[in-house]
Amino acid sequence: MSVDDRQAPGRSHLDVTPADATDRGPGRIRGVLGWLDERTSVARVVRAGMRKVFPDHWSFLLGEVALFCFVILVLTGTYLTLFYVPSASEVTYQGPYAPMAGTQVSAAYDSVLRISFETKAGLLMRQIHHWTALAFVGVVILHLCRVFFTGAFRRPREVNWIIGFTLLVLAIALGFTGYSLPDDLLSGTGARIAYSAALSIPLIGPWLASLAFGGEFPTSAFISRFYVLHIMLLPGLVIVLITGHIALLVLQKHTQYRGGPAREDNVVGRAFWPGQAFLSSGLFFLTAAICSLLGAFFQINPVWLFGPFDAAVVSSPAQPDWYVGWLDGALRIFPSFEPTILGITIPSPFIPGIVIPGVLFTIVALWPFIEARITGDDRAHHILDRLWEHPLRTATGVAILTFFAVLTLAGGNDVLAFQFGFDVEFLTRLFRWLAVLLPIAAWIVTYRLCRGRLREGDHPSPPIAGHAVARTPDGGFEEIHE
Amino acid sequence: MRRLPTEGPARRSDTDPDDRRLERIVLALFGVTVACALALLVVYILGGQTQIEGLLLFGALGALGIGIVVWGQRLIPARINIEPRDPVGVDQAQMAELEQTLIEEAGFSRRRLLVGALAGALAALAAALAIPVFSLGPAPGRSLFETSWRAGRRLATQGGPPVVASDMPVGGVLTVFPDGDSSDPNASTLLIRIGSNPGGAAASSPSPGSSAGASPAAPTPSSAPGTAAAPASTEFVALSKICTHAGCPVGLYRSTEHVLICPCHQSEFDVLDGARPINGPAARPLPALPFRLEPDGTFTALGDFPEPVGPSFWDMDL
Amino acid sequence: MTLRPAAGGPDLRAVGGWAAILAVVAIIAVSGPLPAMAGALASPHATGSRQSVGGASAAVTEAGTTLFQSQCASCHGVQGQGTSYGPSLVGAGAAGADFYLRTGRMPLSAPSQPVVRREPILTDDQIRALTDVVASLGDGPEIPKVTSGGDVSDGSRLYIANCAACHGATGAGNAIGGGNLAADLHQATQTQIVEAMRIGPGTMPKFAFSKDQEASIAAYVQSLQNEPSPGGLAIGGLGAVAEGFVAIGIGLVLFVLATMFVGRRSHEGEPPEDPLP
Repeated sequence: MSVDDRQAPGRSHLDVTPADATDRGPGRIRGVLGWLDERTSVARVVRAGMRKVFPDHWSFLLGEVALFCFVILVLTGTYLTLFYVPSASEVTYQGPYAPMAGTQVSAAYDSVLRISFETKAGLLMRQIHHWTALAFVGVVILHLCRVFFTGAFRRPREVNWIIGFTLLVLAIALGFTGYSLPDDLLSGTGARIAYSAALSIPLIGPWLASLAFGGEFPTSAFISRFYVLHIMLLPGLVIVLITGHIALLVLQKHTQYRGGPAREDNVVGRAFWPGQAFLSSGLFFLTAAICSLLGAFFQINPVWLFGPFDAAVVSSPAQPDWYVGWLDGALRIFPSFEPTILGITIPSPFIPGIVIPGVLFTIVALWPFIEARITGDDRAHHILDRLWEHPLRTATGVAILTFFAVLTLAGGNDVLAFQFGFDVEFLTRLFRWLAVLLPIAAWIVTYRLCRGRLREGDHPSPPIAGHAVARTPDGGFEEIHE
Repeated sequence: MRRLPTEGPARRSDTDPDDRRLERIVLALFGVTVACALALLVVYILGGQTQIEGLLLFGALGALGIGIVVWGQRLIPARINIEPRDPVGVDQAQMAELEQTLIEEAGFSRRRLLVGALAGALAALAAALAIPVFSLGPAPGRSLFETSWRAGRRLATQGGPPVVASDMPVGGVLTVFPDGDSSDPNASTLLIRIGSNPGGAAASSPSPGSSAGASPAAPTPSSAPGTAAAPASTEFVALSKICTHAGCPVGLYRSTEHVLICPCHQSEFDVLDGARPINGPAARPLPALPFRLEPDGTFTALGDFPEPVGPSFWDMDL
Repeated sequence: MTLRPAAGGPDLRAVGGWAAILAVVAIIAVSGPLPAMAGALASPHATGSRQSVGGASAAVTEAGTTLFQSQCASCHGVQGQGTSYGPSLVGAGAAGADFYLRTGRMPLSAPSQPVVRREPILTDDQIRALTDVVASLGDGPEIPKVTSGGDVSDGSRLYIANCAACHGATGAGNAIGGGNLAADLHQATQTQIVEAMRIGPGTMPKFAFSKDQEASIAAYVQSLQNEPSPGGLAIGGLGAVAEGFVAIGIGLVLFVLATMFVGRRSHEGEPPEDPLP
């Protein structure tokens, strides 16, 4: 850019005319970017960002899929907030769904029925939103497993692990508050259980439950409070944490699998632009497509059948969404145990509902530090491990997953009994044993398998064919043959 | 200084004949997207249908996604790039300088008393600002220990008239509230007619007749002539409907076995044995409502439940 | 089956013959009927005689009585008084018999067989005959005539408050513990629904609804059967458990497949080996 001598009247000598503003093609982009860059200094960051390297493996895309699910949830969720009424005031339903005609329902429930039956594309948006939520938590867990089993959480990424795990907990909380918003019979029952779990905490329980719900259950306040949590506080936290999560990732650069030119002091892969950008945006649309498919063809949460919430009425089967199912299962199979210590009652939901999840979540959240302490390895790692290279970590991860899987299945014990012809009481007893024995067995088997594979010796990397290059000390390019 | 990643050479020629074919495929896919999007618009305007709209959305998004991915995978020359990574570690000199700037220049190390007082002041302010959190809900007080039952209130169905004993069939169950006041769901009570011989064969039950003034959510008393003689009060039990485990209504009743089941976590209560939990995670029996059977066949409560209803809490026995 | 006349005079032959017939009937009644007998015994013996066994005046036919003896008496007793294999039918009434027989729950071919809905093995006439017999055993509910004017919104309120806890909000049924099942309601006729509420089959409680209320509930259950499920596949109407299986078994699987498709390596100049086994 240069100062133009031929200045139009009224322009100061500091005005600068872009060199080829009237050219076609790249000139126009340069013009726009130049205009922006003058005001934001954005060009250098964009240039570096375009060249940023993404290691090339499909398992690294799972985190992106989770992010895309969140975006879809925000988009469909925004649509729903335009029609949903977060109020517990009673109205009479007068819409087209005949079995509810004339029933006294909350304004929230009424608005969800209107979305489902009267708003065009309302039911589709609602179902896409709900199915995406179910899949979102699943993808986050898959991503967490990839990070865990490959040891990507090690120094310097411990903080990012904690942020990521917090995001999982927030995702579950978002789901719970979300499906409680229609104020239907099933989700209201779930809210009651959450209240009772809070109530069960010794010393602070009754106060905590009363403050959280606005009084003794049921209250008229909890719908609007869940709404504030669901559309503002929790998503706000998630957005801040996702930003931090990605910022750390950019700063620390991605980890990568061993092999080829990959080393601890480099990142080998595909540049963001154009390759990775195309793949990521394509993946976004594919994710959205799958969510639309589910939302179109599978009915989910038909609240018109459950009826409005009434704290003296219940329907069965009574399960929460699957990602809370483990908590329901823990409450179902934990034996009846309500001791009184020094006059203080320890209510029966306390241990399975608060203590056990609390302990497990803390262990998972602090795992990078726990593992570093146990193995004595607190060096920085950017190369990922293979599954069997850390038997302790892999076995412990498999055991914890097994435990949660057993609890999740136990949450559906009556439905499983009904479908497969078992006694409910038999299944409950069986799950009790499985919850203890299966994780232990899984740990032992996994540990053995990993050790066995380790003993067989490392399989050498085959030589790579093709044209991987690296920079030589004197600045040139050099092909790598290993 | 930041070093930019190095870039390897392109590995494919852009004039590959495969390219033409792939281009056509991607074009076709984008065409599918346009078609589906237009069709979606038409369907929406015509009134909409969930499955068709969803399918078209799936088509539009899926075709677009595949098209972009194929473009990115096959039409863009693939390069392997390598980026150097800065070593992880603490620059001690930089840290020392930072420490100097943060602490020494503000004088924190010299003015420890001031620093302590500042910390205390901030903490006190934070505590004061946290006080409004207590406006979120009332003090628990006695609310967990009481329901809306009082002595003299009759047992009635929700929004309906007081229950008449002879209208209940043996083996029947009703949900009742204080007459005229069903606003407290924690007062919901199960009234069960277990009969005079609960362990034996089922006695005959009155045949239902027709009546007017049906209540919205419960059976209406019938007035068929020739019904059985007035039942004794021992044929009935009144139990809190709120499960003592996690507070769900205990809505299931296995009438021949006289067992109540809560659907949330499968706690089972033996009605003939003081509603003692016999299975599942509940640890306390369902509280029994004291009542009296009046000569006119209605039921009157003798007071509130003797124990707190619903899930336990830490000071319920204190 | 042939009879050998007893040695001796014609009187003894006749007595012996009748004794043999009675003995055979008694043996069959005690040893338990075979399903094949049901067809064999469907001989129309409509004598029109009105025998009153017990109190009520029912049109008890000889065919009905014989059917009762062969199909029911082995577990319920020759006079329906009950045995250790089956409860008393006195007071069960026409409604009770009609419900169990039309839903195919009865007759059982063995006492240990579970009592669940099946294709009925008896014909319409046989069921009517047996119903009359059972009705005659003692005072019991008659077969209800369900009026068609039930209000589906009243029905939904009543159903959710009284029935959904066991039979489910969608009418899909559920396991309720102790080896008992609350039935799937999708094949129940309106008559069967009202009968069930009145007689309380199995461990189901009895409900003393008014006729209007019964009709409303029956109408609502019919609407559940015809429910079009506007959201797509109802996946069994089993709630969050089924939805969870779909979310993971279909949704998550599709996500992973899409991710693997997008992340697949192009096949020239291959970079590092795939480390995941």
